Amino acid sequence: MFPVIDIGPFAIQAAGLILILSLWIGIWLMGMFSNALRTNTEKIESSLLVGLIAGIISARLGFLLQNPTIFLENPLTLFSLTPSMLNVSFGLLVGFLTMLIYAQKWHLPFLPTMDACTPIIILLFAGFHLAQFANGDGYGLPTDLPWGISLWNQIRHPTQIYALILALTLFIGLLVLTKGLKETHSLKSGILFLWVMTGLALTTIFTRSFVKDKTLIAGIDPLQVIGIFILVSSLFIIYHKIYKENYPISIMISLGSNKNPIENLSNAVSKLEDAYRIRRQSSLYKTQNVINNSDSDVFCNQVIEIETNQLYPHLRENLKSIECEFGREKENKQQIPIDLDILTYGQDVFIHNGKHIPHPNLIKYHYITEPLAEIAPDFRHPGTGKTIGEISSEITNDPQVFEKINEVKNGNKR
Amino acid sequence: MKKKTFIGIAVTITLLSLTWVLLTPVLLPVNRGGSEVTAPHEGFFAPNFTLETPQAETIKLSELRRQPVLVFLWASWCSVCKATMPGLQAVYEDYAQRGFEILAVNLTFQDTLSTAQAYFQSQGFTYPMLIDEDGSVAALYQIHALPTSVLIGPDGKIIDVVIGSGMREGFLRVELNDILSAKEE
Repeated sequence: MFPVIDIGPFAIQAAGLILILSLWIGIWLMGMFSNALRTNTEKIESSLLVGLIAGIISARLGFLLQNPTIFLENPLTLFSLTPSMLNVSFGLLVGFLTMLIYAQKWHLPFLPTMDACTPIIILLFAGFHLAQFANGDGYGLPTDLPWGISLWNQIRHPTQIYALILALTLFIGLLVLTKGLKETHSLKSGILFLWVMTGLALTTIFTRSFVKDKTLIAGIDPLQVIGIFILVSSLFIIYHKIYKENYPISIMISLGSNKNPIENLSNAVSKLEDAYRIRRQSSLYKTQNVINNSDSDVFCNQVIEIETNQLYPHLRENLKSIECEFGREKENKQQIPIDLDILTYGQDVFIHNGKHIPHPNLIKYHYITEPLAEIAPDFRHPGTGKTIGEISSEITNDPQVFEKINEVKNGNKR
Repeated sequence: MKKKTFIGIAVTITLLSLTWVLLTPVLLPVNRGGSEVTAPHEGFFAPNFTLETPQAETIKLSELRRQPVLVFLWASWCSVCKATMPGLQAVYEDYAQRGFEILAVNLTFQDTLSTAQAYFQSQGFTYPMLIDEDGSVAALYQIHALPTSVLIGPDGKIIDVVIGSGMREGFLRVELNDILSAKEE
């Protein structure tokens, strides 16, 4: 055991240091994952920070409210740095509520944000058990097994290490599944988070049986019961999301062309109309080629909203084949008869075969945001929760070279 | 994954987990042996020791059962210890009649007895100072840093181990109120 680390004159409580370190690594990994997912890294970090501060302060305040005499005798105890005078459960409650309130205030979409936070959740779980190991808390039952550790005058199950190893295995599994936090594997938001919760619930259910340091209710460990509850609900929601959610999904598609644009765009829309229900359709917007700003290359762009329950890979295949029908050649970047990009797929945020949904161009070019704002003024980015107005105002390096042409049947098509 | 495969796996995992949880009290009972094990950690019986005061009075921890005891391990070179001890004195004055005892174990093997004793007397502390000459109590309580405060309940079980400055006057009062009110009920 190493409850205290001596660094020169400072004796640092190892458990606290481990928790802070694991949170720090977790936030760093969350940043990487969140940037890959294109969720709102900055605001996620801010709500975590605000929640953390609120949690620590209210843990101390909660303790002093419970024991007001301490505070009345010596008001300075409010600021004492000792970890003993904390009401942990009250601190956790206030911390989580504060995080939720801030996430709500900044319109952070719940499931994509939770997906981005999966590294923090695993790291904190692992860090918590390593901290327990440092403190000698959560010690195991006596055992004769060869890997038993000597702790508190008996050879015991190294329960904290069991939990740590399982959590790290889960993390490696997450890295493999997401190809180093670069794919989401699933096409639905929240699935990664739910898999992680399933894994942590199983870890808790398994390892808690070997723990001696626990309070039983009716002979059963309440943490295992909570584990079963989380396990069942996570599996049920995963099942529901993957196999049951089969209602039509709203999909935003950006269309562009610089070869007979008006004719090609109108033909493409009718092609799409054959296969899908079109909900909304924007006017045509004339723009300059964003690749080489030559005058000859005038593009026309449009955004439409379609409705389908086709899965993303099929939809993408279909759009590709429509592009081919119009004579699109991969090599020819100068002449584009039709370009069809999926901007959003419902409210889901995922990375499939290196393709990001929502489309990264959605926050880069006015030729997308302008027509999108026209048909969906209440649009919010499914990943960051930003409004279409905010997205548009944050685009700075793309010159607005628009000319709105032929007001086509604006708004609802049918 | 096919829908049926998923359901099959999910149901199997859930049933296995439930079985594991329900079988735990049978397979891995918590109370199997070791309940009388002593260890310097919360929830265990406090390791027993016998030490002398500078006045050659012998004090045995096990004779102090049925009353809350604070074992405070300190040295005269430890400034945090010296900052904490007056607070302990104030609590001691208020709670000694209700059976509270403080044992200020000086780690004499890392200290100079005369210095420690001079400090202790100059402060007028009324709780006993004990001399750990060979470091056996420090070893018994696996001391990593000073001060270390071990609060022991009337049943001889450790309630709390606080390393460093955490055993503040107010905190100790709160803990004692809890212990004594539970005992007097």
